[in-house]
Amino acid sequence: MSNPEQVRVCIVIPSYNEEKSLGDVIDNLKKVFKKSPYLVTILCIDDYSADKTSAIATQHGATAIRHILNTGAGGATSTGLRYAKLKDFDIAATMDADGQHAAKDVLKGVETLIKTDTDLLIGSRLINKEGMSKVKVLGNKGLSFITYLLFGVNSTDSQSGLRIFSRKALDTLRWETSGYEFCSEMLWRAKQLKLVIDEYPIQAIYTDYSKAKGQNNWNAINIVKSLVKRRVVEMFE
Amino acid sequence: MRYLILVLLNAPIIGLALLNIITQYKMKKASKARFRHQIILWGLILVALLCSFPFYNYLSDKPLLDSSELSLFDITETTAIIALIYIINSQRRRIERTEKIVRDLHQEISIKLSRNSDD
Repeated sequence: MSNPEQVRVCIVIPSYNEEKSLGDVIDNLKKVFKKSPYLVTILCIDDYSADKTSAIATQHGATAIRHILNTGAGGATSTGLRYAKLKDFDIAATMDADGQHAAKDVLKGVETLIKTDTDLLIGSRLINKEGMSKVKVLGNKGLSFITYLLFGVNSTDSQSGLRIFSRKALDTLRWETSGYEFCSEMLWRAKQLKLVIDEYPIQAIYTDYSKAKGQNNWNAINIVKSLVKRRVVEMFE
Repeated sequence: MRYLILVLLNAPIIGLALLNIITQYKMKKASKARFRHQIILWGLILVALLCSFPFYNYLSDKPLLDSSELSLFDITETTAIIALIYIINSQRRRIERTEKIVRDLHQEISIKLSRNSDD
């Protein structure tokens, strides 16, 4: 990856009913990456939305893949990374479709991954907590702590949707869960595969829309239940 | 005699589970880690079963759990529990394999259908 002009980057945006924000997210990415030396493809995975998510993605110049069933965030991310692997991308990035992540942070992540030879780079919202409500900080810290207890992976923001993957990670990293719990499971799988995991600080942008669309705090209980189940089940494997 | 019945009833189930995992490992259908875990799991069940006689005697002597002597019902119950562990474990593996196939199939179909609509 010595010549950045030849580095092909696939930015995966798992989306479910995101017609209101997706257009701006894609436009911002195009604007930021236009100035970069990388060959970028923006890929929207429409997880069987009821609105015009796929159409909006295509209108704004992104490639759209529409699921034929609703699978959850983990399933949509998995499809995106499978596509990136099939199309031989060097690097893939995932980000939220609700406008929570800044396009410049995605570019910063790609540059950091290339410089550091990391396999999985997590954009942590909790290194710089500015803009996050106390409830969100507490919930995310709690889930990160549970991820550490169950899987022994130390991350300040185990639930972050902004992640950058090396080619090695694209080839090897797989997970079983399809809901939001995949974020923690992915870290566990990466640890099992001995991939190099690192973090970098990102800024979280919370608008009224992203607050309304974001995870319900009570969903943390479902995530924990699912992670405990997965951990126990694999003790018998 | 009752402990002998308990062991005789359960040993074939454990033997079958061990045979399954050894066959899967030898046919390269199970990873080394899974093979090791399964051997440890069923080995522990076997040891617990073989140690049930002195353990029961110990409990009967002590007022710890106020245990009575091993009854025919206890034998049936223990056998049922071990048989269920075996069945649940193998069914869970089968379900997870099927889930993975369905998931992969769904992803491949979604990618291919989207590619076709692009063309």
